[in-house]
Parts: sequence; structure tokens; C-alpha cells
Amino acid sequence: MSSKPLAEIKLSAASCAIIISRVACAFLGLSGVLKHDQLLSTSLSSYSQLKEGVFLFRNGLDPYSGGNFRHSPLLLALFSVILPESRTSASLIWTSFDLTGAWALISIWKARQNVGATSKDALINASYLLNPYVFLPTLALSSSTLQNTLTLLSIKFAAEGRASPSLFLLSILLHVDLSTILLLLPILLLLITDPHSHLASPHPLTANLRRTIPLFGKYILYTSILAIASTIITGGVQWIPQTWGATLTLPDLKPNPGMWWYFFTEIFDHFRPFFLMVFSVHLLIYVVPICIKFQYDPLYATFLLLGVLGTFKAYPTLSDPGLFLSTLAVFPEVFSYLRHPIVTALLHLHAALLMPLFNHLWLNTGTGNANFFYASTLVFACANGAALIDAIWAGMRIAIGREVQNYVVVQE
Amino acid sequence: MDNNPPPNPSPWLRLFRRNPNATTTRLRRRQATVSFFTRRLSQIIVALLAVGYFWLLILPSPRLGRGTYIDENALQPGQVNTYWNWGDVHAADVYLEQLELLRDSNATSHQRAQFLMNEFAKLGLSPATQKYSFQSSSNHGSINGANAYAILASPRGPRNEAMVISASWLSRIGEGDGTLNLRGVSTVLALARFLKNYSLWAKDIVFVIGDGYLDGMHAWLNAYHGVKQSNLEAEPLELTSGVIWTALNIDYPGHSFSHLGLFFEGLNGRLPNQDLMNSVQHIARYTGQVPVTVYDHLEWRDPSAQPSELTFLPSPLCHHPEIKEFAYRAKNILRHIGYQARGRASGVHGLYHQFRIDAVTVFAVPAIGPHGFHALGRIVESSLRTMNNLLERLHASFFFFILTTPDQFMKIGSYLPSAILISVAMMFRGLRCWVDAGWRPDHPHSKKGDHSPRIPVWSRRSRPVLHVFAMMLMTHLCGVVLFLIVRSSFFLYRQKLLTPLIVLAVSLVPFVVPKIYYPFHQGVAPAWLLLKALNLCFASTVISTITVLNFSLAALLAVALGLPLLLAQPSKSTPLSWFKYILYTLLASGWLFLFQEVRDAIWQWEILSVWFAPFFCLVYTPLVIQAGIVCILPHS
Repeated sequence: MSSKPLAEIKLSAASCAIIISRVACAFLGLSGVLKHDQLLSTSLSSYSQLKEGVFLFRNGLDPYSGGNFRHSPLLLALFSVILPESRTSASLIWTSFDLTGAWALISIWKARQNVGATSKDALINASYLLNPYVFLPTLALSSSTLQNTLTLLSIKFAAEGRASPSLFLLSILLHVDLSTILLLLPILLLLITDPHSHLASPHPLTANLRRTIPLFGKYILYTSILAIASTIITGGVQWIPQTWGATLTLPDLKPNPGMWWYFFTEIFDHFRPFFLMVFSVHLLIYVVPICIKFQYDPLYATFLLLGVLGTFKAYPTLSDPGLFLSTLAVFPEVFSYLRHPIVTALLHLHAALLMPLFNHLWLNTGTGNANFFYASTLVFACANGAALIDAIWAGMRIAIGREVQNYVVVQE
Repeated sequence: MDNNPPPNPSPWLRLFRRNPNATTTRLRRRQATVSFFTRRLSQIIVALLAVGYFWLLILPSPRLGRGTYIDENALQPGQVNTYWNWGDVHAADVYLEQLELLRDSNATSHQRAQFLMNEFAKLGLSPATQKYSFQSSSNHGSINGANAYAILASPRGPRNEAMVISASWLSRIGEGDGTLNLRGVSTVLALARFLKNYSLWAKDIVFVIGDGYLDGMHAWLNAYHGVKQSNLEAEPLELTSGVIWTALNIDYPGHSFSHLGLFFEGLNGRLPNQDLMNSVQHIARYTGQVPVTVYDHLEWRDPSAQPSELTFLPSPLCHHPEIKEFAYRAKNILRHIGYQARGRASGVHGLYHQFRIDAVTVFAVPAIGPHGFHALGRIVESSLRTMNNLLERLHASFFFFILTTPDQFMKIGSYLPSAILISVAMMFRGLRCWVDAGWRPDHPHSKKGDHSPRIPVWSRRSRPVLHVFAMMLMTHLCGVVLFLIVRSSFFLYRQKLLTPLIVLAVSLVPFVVPKIYYPFHQGVAPAWLLLKALNLCFASTVISTITVLNFSLAALLAVALGLPLLLAQPSKSTPLSWFKYILYTLLASGWLFLFQEVRDAIWQWEILSVWFAPFFCLVYTPLVIQAGIVCILPHS
């Protein structure tokens, strides 16, 4: 009797220790060093540009006319009200985003397992708060941290069946980052079904798809209200090409850990529109197949699409793949069916060491060149791709059950 | 898995329907490939290791090198007439006399800097001095000094680019043990007097006389680039110029010189662009008529070279030209590894590289003749003209090389695979251990009289990775503690007394760390196997990543970690396990007994931010300790 509460106290102590260490990190003042790191924030999520935009906005200048500010008007409004005056307070605000994200992740876990507090809570907490891909962008005050938190909150509310907050957060997310439109379909499916694990017993979708129509309408409504709000805030529609347009037309080719920038620095200009279209549509083609295949477990489909976003989106930071990897902790049932977890982990280890190193060799010491860094981002893309493929494999493989000796499961 | 032949379909249908046996065939093929690979994995690992180590051994082979060339067409080395003449040599001699007077009167740093500043001022240049002081725990106090420098404003450029001619007060001979670089300093002064008369400089020329050996120049460069260092107090510079692109450091400690030695290794294993070195080498050879060597190693063909050191070989081998050539190159490569692996700069030029300035030291190898100020001045003048030609920074990825002889070098592709192959072997072994950790063979009890070979039944076992990660993390934290202790002045004052205690403490780590809870039972992989798997994978990743940053360090790690980590394994007999454990402890912490080396490494870390010391404590030592833990964990 006495051992169980003791174990729980131990675990909540572990959670507290993790949270305290994260808050302590906020006081270290690393943001000055990490702020300009190209792996941690892109021109769409950089803190310095956010500050610049807020400054222009407060002084009555249109931040979108300069072509430098690419944050959503919603963030502009939010931070012109609560813009942190000092770096430490900014770090604390950003850490609180992360803590909210971790809380949302634990709620998703609870909703999926349909339980109250469990012994795994501390592990889930650690998987988000101690994931270097997640906490380094937070220390660099990248707004991708806020994106992650919004994503997790939206999924949390969807998993709990609360349509309005979930869809509202999802439309805010759309304003912050256009490519998160990928998550709409699985979240709608999640809202009309349940978040529990059905991976081991696939069945056709039983819920009526028509129920998504009013939800979709709601989403459109929220999005348009927010769009109108954005237009009112900035006094015009010039924010649209600067924020949504930037995701589609890639005006800023600063290096980042994604796959787009190098391709579009190298390509001839007359092919640019075509390949922009290809790259953008390429993101979309994953949505329907994944949702059809995992129609019995839309939470898993959402998780897989997070992986697609982390690998292929236009302006990723480390926190996008980080979100995908941290969310894996919610699906412990697939762990034993992962095919090559060690290979994926080693690829990630290599990429995590090589990317900052090659970035440094290229831009600081000048002994390397852009190809070095691009090669390391390719390793990173391979690592993300391997994780994604493995997650898809494990999600489908679990339905077949344990392997019997002398029998092999193959994919046709 | 259905083997029934299908009803004969029409050829058209066959185009669209796959052969139903295709899956089986593909599966068989895959199984055959995998089992081919896994059955021979041990041989593959041995082969990779053998090739990797062999490759390291034959790095000095002349067959792996290629001739140096100039990649940047703008440089045009040796294409100009030089005007440095005997009058300038005389000026240098006069400066030398004055410097010798200063030396004999035991002038302080400040007096020297003042004198140099006055001399620069007499020439009509804008001169200044800079005082600095370093605090260091390893040096029992502080280092003080004063630099003098002057700027020759470019007569025909916009003054936003610069090149530097520098000399340190102490020569690099003996790494700053007190040999003065008087002739180097007087060369710089005479050059300042001479170069001022020409209007062809498109970049500012900065003349710097750094006090001490490395410290003065470091303070000057930090101040020039606005870098704050907590243990350095340096006056801000009164005069500044543009971005420095290239620099030449002159070191002339002897009376005369026979050869010009090139020193190029910078801090933290950085190398300058090879074009600069090749240009200086080309100019020295064809404009200055001075033979060039790598470091102060004279080529074996050179008549003034020391008689062969290969006396341990039988005489026909000892005099074989190919073997002599191999030995000469091996000596150069070993010297290079000695500097680069430890992150040491081989001269004052090494300080420039961190600010993205390509720099080399031209070292006048002391001899009784035949060259002196005349040759050196012409070489520097012509080199400056070449550097003056640059329109953009030297680039073109000409930064990865091993200079085996003055005119031969190894490209990255001819030396990198050696360390990579060893790290691949480690990775394969690590993955093998990982797979082994996941499976348990059960030998079914055979019935009496049944002589058929017993086929083990494989069953899965769990791999508690988090527990092993916790162990590894603990050892790395111990590494952090070790580093904090070693760098503390308390330790450095009582080094000889405390070192055995610390080695003892390190040797206790393998007993403390496995106390972390680990579920030992049948269905769980043995801890040592899992620890070994992750240890090998991590070590392999570190080695292959370091290769591009600092090849020498990667090669050193490949040698020091490769075989030891691969062979770590608990043995059935306790004494043997203990013996192995002691060996690993010595390998992990034995370096602490190299007292002077440890002090130097800490000094380099504190003053020059050379990360070799923290890297060794935080990465190397923990990895070897982990191998030690593997040896004393229970066998199964």
C-alpha cells in the first residue's frame, strides 16, 4: 500500500526536477548566443525579427512593408502587448510555452490511455522537456516553440473531444504557419472518433464522415475571423504575401535544417515556380493516404503527419522534428515493432553533431562551404525520414501481432 | 508463401500481375544477403580494422601524396621584381644592434615597446603600444607585457583590408623558453622602413611586435577583433585598420639560416589556406633562392641534414632512398599530428586562424650560413606583393591537407578514410552487440540417444536502454568533475601529490556507476553487452565527426579507442577481469601523470581556449571508463 504513493511521489519529484532544471536554463542567458543560430530559428520564427516588427508596429510603421518581418499579425499583436522587456523574462515566457506543451502532451497521453495520473507521466514530461531539439530552439527564443505548443494543445483538445478550442487553436496555428493545414484532416477525424489506440485492431471508420462538415465549417469560420482580425490589426492585407506567401514562395533563402533552401538557391529562376508548386503539393499528398490507412486511429495519423511536417516543410527549425520525436512517447505500444530504432537514433546523433559543426565550418571558420552544411542537413533528413518510415511500419505491423518462428511479415 | 503454380495467365495479364512467387524469392534473396553479411561480420570488422590501421601506417608513403599547386590564380607568386637590397640589410643590422643593446640592458617590456614605437614613429608611420595582462591558474599568477604596432596606410586602397607582418619577442624555438627573436623583430622594423617607400600597396600593412611568445599576439588580436576574454586585461587599440586577410609571422632566432621552415598549424587544429603556404614556398625557392622545409626538418637528400636516424635498421635498408623518404615524411606527419591533435599552434601564426586570417610562420632554420637578412627581406617583400594581389579571401576548400614534404601534400580523400574505416568497424561491432543483446539462445534439452545437432531456439529479451544511458551519463558527469578539478589552481599547485589520488578516484568510478538500478534477470539483456554496444556506437560517431574538424585528433582517438573499446569484455575468471579493469583505468587516467603536458593543456585552455583538455576529460576518459565498467560487470 505504502509503496505505490511513494513511487508516485518519486515520479512527481522527477517531473518537478525536470521543470525546475528547465526554468533554471532560462536564467542562464544563452539566448544571446543561440539567437542567431540557423538551426534553431529561421526568418519566419526568429526572435530578433519579431522584436524588430514589434518596434516598427509600435512606432506606427507598417512592419510588413520592409519585406523582413514574416511573423503572423496575431503574434505581432500578442507581443506588442506582452513583449518581454528583458532577455530573462523572454526566456521565462518561452519556457512557459514549453511547459504548457509538455502538459498538453501528458494530457494527450492520458486521453489515449483513458487513465488518470500514471507512472509514465514523468517519462513523457522528460521526452518533451529534455529533448534537445525542443529546448534549444526555446533557449534561442524561436517562435517555433509557440507553434509546437499550439499544435500540442490543439491535438490535446481534439483528443478530449472538445471541438471548438481545438479548431480555434488549429486556425491560430494556420496563421502562424501555413503548412500546418496538413493537420486539419486527421484532427477532424480525431474529433469524430476517439483517441484510444486501435492500432492492433484495424477496422474501417465507423463514425459518420458527414459530422466533419460542421467542424470544418467552424474551422473556416475561425480562420476567417482571425484573418479579418489580422487585417484590422495591420490595416490592410499586405501581411498575406509576407506570412502565408513566404511559406509558398520561399523569398528568404537563409540556410536552415530543412530541404528547401539549398535546392532553391541552386535552381535556375525559370524553374522556380514549378518546383515551388511541386514542393508545396508534395507536402499535401501525404495527408489523404495516411488518413485512409490509419482511419481507425486518427491520433496516430496526426503523429505521422507531424513527422512529414518536420521532414519536409519549408522553414523548419530543429523543434519541428523534435516535436515528432517527443510525441512518439505517447505511443509505447509500437516501440517493440520499430524495425531499426538504433539506426535511426545513430543517424540523429550523427546529424545532431554534424549540422552545428558544418554550419560552423562554413560560416565561422570559412574552411568549409555550403555543400558541407547541406550534406549534413541531408543526413538529418535521412534520420527524420527513417524515423517516419519506421513509425509508419510499426503502426501497421502491430496489427499482425508477434512474429511466429519461420514466418516472416513482408510488405507487398 | 503459396507455392502452387498459378493457372497460366495470358501474356497480357502477366504484365500486370506479379509472379506470386516473387515475394518468396525476394524474401529468400534478402535473407541470404543478410545472413551472408551477418555470418561474415566478424571477418568484415577485422578487415576494416586492418585496412584502417594499415592506411594510417602508410600515410607517409610517397604514393599517397601529390604535388602542391597554386589554386588561386590571382596570387601570381614570384612574378615581380624585388627591390629589397643591401642598404635595407644594413638598416636591419643597425636595428639589430639597438635591440641587442636593449636586451643587454635588461629593458622591461614597456621600455621595449616604447623603443619600438619610437622607431616606427621615426619612419613616419602611425605607431602605438598596447599593454596587457593574463590571469592563469596554471602559471602561478599573471603574465604581463606590452605590444608595439604600426600601420602603413594603403596609398591606393580604400583601407578596409589589411595584411599583417608580425614577429614575437620570443622565438618559437623551444616554444617560448627564452630564445629571443631579435633578428625577426629587426627584419620587421627594416621592412617597415623599406615598404613605406612604395605606393603599390592596395591593402594596409600592419606591423606588429608581440611581446612574449603567444600571449602578446593573442592579446593584440583579441583587442583588434573586439573579443572579450575574462582572464585577459588588454588596452583597447588606439589604431585600427580594415579586415585582416593574410598574415606572415617572421621567426629568425639564429645568426644566419640555411633553410626556410614553414610552420602552419593553428589553434584547435585549424590550418591556413594552402595557397598562402604554397606561394611563400614558391617565392622562397625561386625569388629568394632559399631551400624550403616543413618545420625545421631538413630533407634527407640535403647535404646539411643530420645523418640518418634509422640506425636500428640493417644497413642496406637504412640507406634505401625509398625508406629514407618514408622516414622523412613520417617524421613530418608525426610532428603535424603532435601539434594538431593537441590543438596547439606551432607558432604565433596559429593565433590568427581563429579570426579567419590565413597565416604562416616563416622560420629561419638556424645555421652558420649562407642566408641572412637579404634573402629573408626579398622573400617577405615578394610574398607581400602576392598577398596584395588578392581580390577576395582565399577560399576553395584548400584547408584540408597534410603537408608531407614542402612540395607534396595529401588531399583529404587520401587520408580521411583511414580513421573513418576504423570508426565504421567500431560501429559495426556496436550494432552487432546491440543485436546480440536483443536475443537469447535457448538450447532445448536433447533426448537420450539423439545425436542430431541442437538448434538453439531464439527468444527476444528486453534492452533497458535508459538504465545504460544513465550509466553513460554518470561517467560523462564524472569527466566534467575531473576537468573542473584538474583545471583548479588548488590541483595545479599540488599536482604531484594529488594526481595519484585522482587516478584512484577515477578507478573507483566503475564500481559506483553500475550501482544504478539495472534489472538483472533472464529476460533482460546483460548490462555489459548493452553498455558495450552503446559505448562503441557513440565512440564511433565521435571519431567520424571529429575527422573533418581535426583529423589528427580523430586518428589519435581511432588508435587509442579503436582496439581497446572493441576488446572490452568481461571474462569468466575474476583475476583476468580485474587485470583488464586495471588496464582500462590506466588508459583512462594514466595521462594525468604527464605533469607538464597536463599543465600546458590547461594553460592552453585558459589563455587560448584550446578545447583539447576539456574534450579529453569529457569524452575520451569517460569512454574508456565505460569500457572498464564493461569488464567488471557480471558476464551473463
